[in-house]
Amino acid sequence: MSGPLTGRGRPIYPLVALVGQTTMVQALLLAAINPLCGGVLLRGEKGAAKSTAARGLREILPPLPPTSAESANPSLPRGRPFLTLPLNATEDRVVGGLDFEVATRQGIRVNNPGLLSQAHQGILYIDEVNLLDDHLVDLVLDAAARGSCALEREGLSLTLPSQFILIGTMNPEEGELRPQFLDRFGLAVQVASEKDPELRVETLRRREEFEADPWVFAAKWAPETELLKARVLKAQAELSRVVIPQRIREFIAQLAVERHVAGHRADLLLERAAVALCAFQGRKILAETEVLEVAPLVLAHRQRESAPPPPPPPDPEPNEAEANQEEPEQEEPRPEEPNQEESERAEPTETESAPPEPAPAAASPLDRPEPEDSGEEDSTEPPSPRPNALVERIFEIGQTFKVRRVETAKDRLRRRGSGRRSRGRVSQKQGRYVKSGPNNGLGDLALDATIRAAAPYQLGRERAPGLALALWPSDIRCRIREKKMGNHLFLTVDASGSMGARGRMAAAKGAVMSLLLDAYQKRDQVALISFRRDGAAVNLPLTASADLAGRLLAEMPIGGRTPLAHGLELTFREVRNALLKNPLARPIVIVVTDGRGNVSLTAGPPGSTQSRPLQQAWALASVMAREKRAKYLVVDTEEESLVAFKLAERLAAALEAEYYRINDLKAETLLSLIRAQT
Amino acid sequence: MSQPNPIFPFVAIVGQESLKLALILNIINPSLAGVLIRGEKGTAKSTAVRSLAQILPAIEVFEGDPFQLDPRTEAELLAELSAAVGLSRLVEPRIVQRQIRVVELPVGATEDRLVGTLDLERALKTGEKRVEPGLLAAAHRGILYVDEVNLLDDHLVDALLDSAAMGGCSIEREGVSLTHPARFTLVGTMNPEEGELRPQLLDRFGLCVHVSGTLELAQRVAVLERRAAFEENPEAFVASWAAESERLAQKISQAQKLLAEVKVSQESLYEIARLCLEVGVDGHRGDIVIHKAAKAMAAWRGQTEVTPADLEAAAELALPHRVRRQPLQALADNLDLRRNQARDSRSPKAGPSQKPAPGL
Repeated sequence: MSGPLTGRGRPIYPLVALVGQTTMVQALLLAAINPLCGGVLLRGEKGAAKSTAARGLREILPPLPPTSAESANPSLPRGRPFLTLPLNATEDRVVGGLDFEVATRQGIRVNNPGLLSQAHQGILYIDEVNLLDDHLVDLVLDAAARGSCALEREGLSLTLPSQFILIGTMNPEEGELRPQFLDRFGLAVQVASEKDPELRVETLRRREEFEADPWVFAAKWAPETELLKARVLKAQAELSRVVIPQRIREFIAQLAVERHVAGHRADLLLERAAVALCAFQGRKILAETEVLEVAPLVLAHRQRESAPPPPPPPDPEPNEAEANQEEPEQEEPRPEEPNQEESERAEPTETESAPPEPAPAAASPLDRPEPEDSGEEDSTEPPSPRPNALVERIFEIGQTFKVRRVETAKDRLRRRGSGRRSRGRVSQKQGRYVKSGPNNGLGDLALDATIRAAAPYQLGRERAPGLALALWPSDIRCRIREKKMGNHLFLTVDASGSMGARGRMAAAKGAVMSLLLDAYQKRDQVALISFRRDGAAVNLPLTASADLAGRLLAEMPIGGRTPLAHGLELTFREVRNALLKNPLARPIVIVVTDGRGNVSLTAGPPGSTQSRPLQQAWALASVMAREKRAKYLVVDTEEESLVAFKLAERLAAALEAEYYRINDLKAETLLSLIRAQT
Repeated sequence: MSQPNPIFPFVAIVGQESLKLALILNIINPSLAGVLIRGEKGTAKSTAVRSLAQILPAIEVFEGDPFQLDPRTEAELLAELSAAVGLSRLVEPRIVQRQIRVVELPVGATEDRLVGTLDLERALKTGEKRVEPGLLAAAHRGILYVDEVNLLDDHLVDALLDSAAMGGCSIEREGVSLTHPARFTLVGTMNPEEGELRPQLLDRFGLCVHVSGTLELAQRVAVLERRAAFEENPEAFVASWAAESERLAQKISQAQKLLAEVKVSQESLYEIARLCLEVGVDGHRGDIVIHKAAKAMAAWRGQTEVTPADLEAAAELALPHRVRRQPLQALADNLDLRRNQARDSRSPKAGPSQKPAPGL
């Protein structure tokens, strides 16, 4: 089972030969010293040696302590298992299942252990862990929570121990982890490439040397690897001897409270990690320094507050609230004796722990240069609250943020498509093979499951010549595949002059851009429709290129009156076209407007609906609402004030749409990202 | 495989120098890990890749080995992998020379085909649990070609990323479990109008070239003439270019031999690091790829010393898709522009309005 990529064959890049990246290496070592530290998540930019480090740990792992049976024969120290869970694994390989070969030959049911039980007492490594399918995540979570893996299938009923160190790597650009899953990682490291040219050149040199001859390179570093291995082993032995003074326990608890960490797991992990570090550094008594050194690893990904975006949001209110929460933490005096020095030292570490925190937001670097722009818009706009209707301007994109989850409910319809937003079962023979079920008549045979179903009965069945298996219709199992569906996202943006006031357009563009970013991560198809002056236009027909939509959005000029009804009408036409092409699609329509429609579709006699653009738009909206396959959202760009017209709210009511202000769209807390489980 | 239908010869492709160069560099040093070819329809993207087969050098493999193991370094895996697929083995397997393959991954492929799965026939006939290796096994030490790579299904991209990162492929499916090496040169073509690649996959392509139809009249006429000649009599056309193909293959094989001797000066190493820091790339892969590409470039010129021109040319190929950009921003078509921008705008005022002209 040991992979040829690591054990034998081509050597892997030694962990000790990594240049820089000390935090990452340290976190991995802590997990190796004390497996109860609870796994390591390496998150960060691509090409920063995350996978290399994770796989390098294998060489450093101390062997398993011999069990009582084995201690009689200590000649064979068992290596710890190091198993890779590939993203495309099927359920039976993860939890285990009937071994059909044995069953066919001998007619007995034997479990073919899955990765979860094979990884017991070892490491379970998942590369690109954020891309792991939800149903596999569930299995891993379940085993991690229970420390065992229960198997109730194919006539097997077993519970196997399954305690493992979870090591995962991920690039946040590709999406985030579910919070429960995130919590399963005891330590999380924010990885970035080294910025020092010296280190970069050294990296290049070593890489060249390694690739020229991996064997020679590994041999060259072998003594150092051995040294580190011995040090880890020694630290492991010393673990139980580290003394934890009472005041340090209090310090840990206080730290966790200050950081608003959910649950008690963090306290425990913090203590374990600090003790492991203490032992590794050869000290006997745990001190604040060690706690503070590991604190960012344990706490950064657990803080309950959502990552506040690094630049202050244009809206002053939440800004103040945040500042109020942050401030006292920094100034809080510590009651401990060595507090003068300690708290001085604490300051830098505490601020150090901050960088990993805003990172999820930093994944959308659009944040960076923008706030200035939107700020400027704010200051330059007020003189002309109602801009000249004929002036056209292009506003830059305002601040972007992480948007809350918008999805359609998973249903039982079978459909086609590809993407990551909503989950659904698929009818074609594509998508991930999730598990098998009884014959559903679709002809997508799950051969492995079918054979497993038939295997135990083979001894008693008559077989056709040349075949080892006699399959009966009752054995047939079919594949159940699942695929995240990208939705069709229709963005209808109001580009009229009224949107130009007070940086509203910048904010609206920021909101739309955030939706686009989200659409990109979820592989949605997007269409961009805008309306201004006397009509509406499809800026971009339905396409998978969110990039293109982003570019067009940046260049979208605004100005003129508000032909809201035109916009709605055109959107509806596009939606209906999409539905004709793919009747099972579930389009999401997002209308970004202040709702102040003032152009009618057609001129009519005075007093009729036709002559009142708003009524016309609302009437149209209620027609659109009858299309139940589409889901509508209205994003109101009107500023909150006493004299607000609340026209967008009316529009939302007519559309039977969900109604949001721009600020509502932001994903408030990490916890709110928990998807409604199906 | 390539016998029945003659393929348009690589050497007969008019223009598209950077595309040809990127492919050649990848043959000289396969660890460059591939080329992403971006461009509109009908710009000889696919022709160039398919025609590679004629100029690819030969490698040593074990006879009948579906995993194309390297007899010199991966021999010890042979027994285990052969057993997993149910091949009985001689004690002394024969080593044969075989041309490097171009394995094509169709956009609609299933995960089973890509990764490998349970051998159906064997399971039914003998009741044995054996692995049927997938395209990743076939692509080991060869070229994996994905046409319209941006349309590839998400779960297939995940599988590709997984094995590109590991240099191997783990099959944990349908009751079978096997890990085998899979280091391949990933060549993808795409039309950016139909959507961008995911950043993680983008980064896995060593080099990136942007192709567009040539505007020069003489060249366009040459394209037409050669195409017409090829369609009229493919065999004769291929034969008329055979000598040229042979010369190219020779030159590539010489460069391959020379590669180990190419030296990079201290200053050049710093120049690489400085360049990457300046334009802002994620991670270290940019540095590593420039380094390798520059060496391959020197070897291709028949020199053993990397010159600044080599570095410049390597950066042009290695950086455009790595320059850190704001999400949804266009790829940098013009590297110089980006570098100048990076220099000018240490101030945060580099809004999206200043980005390079869209490449559409």
